[in-house]
Amino acid sequence: MGDARIQLGQFVIEGELTIYRVTELQQTLLDLLRRCDAVDADLSQVNEIDGAGLQWMVAAKREANRQHKPLRFAGHSRPVQEALDLCDLGAFFGDQVVISSQAWEGAGS
Amino acid sequence: MNLDDALKTFINESRELLEQMEEALLGIEQQPDDAELINGIFRAAHTIKGSAGLFGLEQIVAFTHVAESVLDRVRDSLLVIDAELVAILLASRDHIGSLIDHLAQGETPDAATHRQGSELTERLHRYLNQTPAAARAAMPVEHAQIPERETGRVADTDNWHISLRFGREVLRNGMDPLAFLRYLGTLGRIVRIVTLTDDIPALSELDAEGCWLGFEIVFSSEADKATIESAFDFVREDSHIRILPPRSRIAEYLRLIDALPNEDMRLGEILVRCGTLTPAELDSMLEMQRQGDATEHAPIGEVLVEQKVVQEPVVEAALVRQKQIKENRNAQNASIRVDSARLDQLINLVGELIIVGSSANLIARQIAHPALLEVTYNMTRMVEEVRDSAMSLRMVQIGATFSRFQRVVHDVAQELGKDIRLEISGGETELDKTVVEKITDPLTHLVRNAMDHGIESRAQRAANGKPEQGVLRLNAWHESGSIVIEVADDGGGLNTEKIRAKAIERGLIAADAGLSEHDIHQLIFAAGFSTADAVSNLSGRGVGMDVVRSNIESLRGSVELLSQAGAGTAVRIHLPLTLAIIDGFLVGVGRERYVIPLETVEECIQFSVTELNLASGEAGYMDLRGEVLPCVRLRDVFDVRHSSATRESIVVVRHGARRVGLVVNALYGELQAVIKPLGRLFEAAQGVGGFTILGDGEVTPVIDVARLIELSAGPLHSRAGGLPAAA
Amino acid sequence: MAKTIMIVDDSATLRQVVSIALKGAGYDVLEASDGKDALARLTGQKVHLVISDVNMPNMDGLTFVTEMKKLPAYKFTPVIMLTTEAGADKKAQGQAAGAKAWVVKPFQPAQMLAAVSKLVLP
Repeated sequence: MGDARIQLGQFVIEGELTIYRVTELQQTLLDLLRRCDAVDADLSQVNEIDGAGLQWMVAAKREANRQHKPLRFAGHSRPVQEALDLCDLGAFFGDQVVISSQAWEGAGS
Repeated sequence: MNLDDALKTFINESRELLEQMEEALLGIEQQPDDAELINGIFRAAHTIKGSAGLFGLEQIVAFTHVAESVLDRVRDSLLVIDAELVAILLASRDHIGSLIDHLAQGETPDAATHRQGSELTERLHRYLNQTPAAARAAMPVEHAQIPERETGRVADTDNWHISLRFGREVLRNGMDPLAFLRYLGTLGRIVRIVTLTDDIPALSELDAEGCWLGFEIVFSSEADKATIESAFDFVREDSHIRILPPRSRIAEYLRLIDALPNEDMRLGEILVRCGTLTPAELDSMLEMQRQGDATEHAPIGEVLVEQKVVQEPVVEAALVRQKQIKENRNAQNASIRVDSARLDQLINLVGELIIVGSSANLIARQIAHPALLEVTYNMTRMVEEVRDSAMSLRMVQIGATFSRFQRVVHDVAQELGKDIRLEISGGETELDKTVVEKITDPLTHLVRNAMDHGIESRAQRAANGKPEQGVLRLNAWHESGSIVIEVADDGGGLNTEKIRAKAIERGLIAADAGLSEHDIHQLIFAAGFSTADAVSNLSGRGVGMDVVRSNIESLRGSVELLSQAGAGTAVRIHLPLTLAIIDGFLVGVGRERYVIPLETVEECIQFSVTELNLASGEAGYMDLRGEVLPCVRLRDVFDVRHSSATRESIVVVRHGARRVGLVVNALYGELQAVIKPLGRLFEAAQGVGGFTILGDGEVTPVIDVARLIELSAGPLHSRAGGLPAAA
Repeated sequence: MAKTIMIVDDSATLRQVVSIALKGAGYDVLEASDGKDALARLTGQKVHLVISDVNMPNMDGLTFVTEMKKLPAYKFTPVIMLTTEAGADKKAQGQAAGAKAWVVKPFQPAQMLAAVSKLVLP
């Protein structure tokens, strides 16, 4: 990352983060990781998440790590938080997860 | 939860279903292979049982269950339905009916009903005991638990351990692993959970809709094992689920690990991490596993079967049963069942073929090449044969429909206190399946009507010197390319004067209208004629004779009433053989062309204009070999301009007992017409029954002769049918 | 946000009772009287679960599920099929059509509620 300009990819997931969307989101994220040096995914507008959504988050995080590009999930909406709590996956995603949707202010890292 | 309303719905719905069931049962003897009938009977029983269960009406559920099981065997061709079985099923139907009646009155069934119920149950059971394997499959299976409590070292924990590996298709099947975890949360407390994500492939290779999740859960709950297991009922078949009760033997944990050999080290650690096992216990386990390797290392399959031990007989029974059904079907099937949609598709294609064929024909004639003409002639003939055999696939006999009325007649006669015999003839007459389905309601109405109003009371019959027993006849026959169905009674006939008076009162005819007796009789089909005071509660089921007429007309049929005072009434329904393709006769009026259904054409007469004194816009008459023939100009009916009036022909068409001459300009000859329904735009077009596409691609109206005759017959029918001013 | 459940059954009684039970538990309920009717009512709105009878006039439950799964918006909608214990071969067909959850008729409202909550909590 010697480049002076850091390309930050940002995207907001609106509505469902479910099996109906994951294939599309998989592509979106792969594209963003290819084009950008870091990616921010805003989860504040997610109103529903299922096992497929959770898997996607895990796979996305791993892929970013593999490419050594920071992927930050932020603004976890209540359904997302609940799902992570249910599966005790908070730790997997690191400290970002514990930020509640109210407390998150959208600041960069 | 207030279920009173729902209970009312249940009672009403059950009664309707029982009625349908009865009709179907009476029809089934004539058509023991009619899958739809059998399925209808089954469905009625099934629905009643299902609904009764909702209210915990155990008596109804239990009894209906037995009847349903018998019906299921009939449906699967394991049982042949015969007169005896029909009798038992009818009695069962009546028994369910009386249980429902008791329920409706808020009573508990009396001793006699109980006795009847157990008698019938016993008789029904005889039909179930023939093949034990199938019967076993039909019984509900409890997921019993195998208590396995051997001695051995136990893990020192009060918690359950649940190990979940969801099947790959779980998500795609609409099941969400998270939902199961949430449900588990309603049964107890998830103390620890480890989500296994190792199996999730890299993002670029991920089948994101597949399920890659697994969980190891420490669960605290007072629920029993069956309850906890039931949480995973819907995924049990394609997922690996193992549930270890608190204080399970170490050997069972070992088995858990054995089931997933690739993971065993890690899983052991997870179990320790979860707090399910202590490190010491894990060591002891691994030691056991090492020993086991040499002797009795259980393969995964065995472990799984062991877990599902209770299900094995179920699976087996189901397989045996499926096999039986298959064999049965192979043995007995001289006929095959075809999806009616596929049949319709075939008919459609044949229709297209006919159009293409006639255009080939047309071209051949234009070119006038002898060899080509011969080929197209042969082709036309074969297409006709294909058409006929395709149409015949849809044909069914009307007999079954007729026989359904046996019980109707029997019951209604009792209700009315009349003695009425049903005579059926022409049951072998075939007609289009769609037509048969749609004719049942109008027929039912006509039958009830005839019994109620047609046939007199015993006393009156005796007084008139008639036999006390009245006769109702259902008859069917072919007549010039159409089907006639007749409902006739030997009652008192219609009261012509009363009808005339009522028609005048209702404003259907003018007080001074000069109508024949026959014409007056037809008035009872006019909209708005039958009223509440004209019908008793039997036939007055909200369907008047006008509805009967419009039902029949929607099938391109017509209805006619013949009545003789003192001797009886007959209602004749004329129906086309089929709804899709007809033989037609192409005529020209000015530049327009029309197709007349060939079956209605009696003859064609050529004449010069002067012979027929027919003023424009009026109906005229001509002398046809000494008979008066009413004539109508198609030109006027359809308002065709530019009609050259030098040469005209008359096509004599007939419908029922009536004939009319249609005046046209040109006769083009016979053709096959594939009838396309009228678009909404043309629904109002009087005298047109549909359209067809000619070989040259032109869209041509097909004349509805019955309607046209009605239109041409003068003011009476113009009132009844609302026809345009032109006629 | 309440979860929406569609109940497809030709018995008005069954629909009514199940609907009362589900609404009481906090679900939104859509009703349809057969497969055809159900398809006509699936117009893109979110449906979290479908409960469908097998044997219905006009369009049976298996055809309905097969057709529904062709609609992108309902491709992954879970289905609880209602069956008789005798319907083993139907069950196999239903599994193939994508209906993995079965509830045996007759059932009491509480049993249906339990089955539903395994797949979707309100």
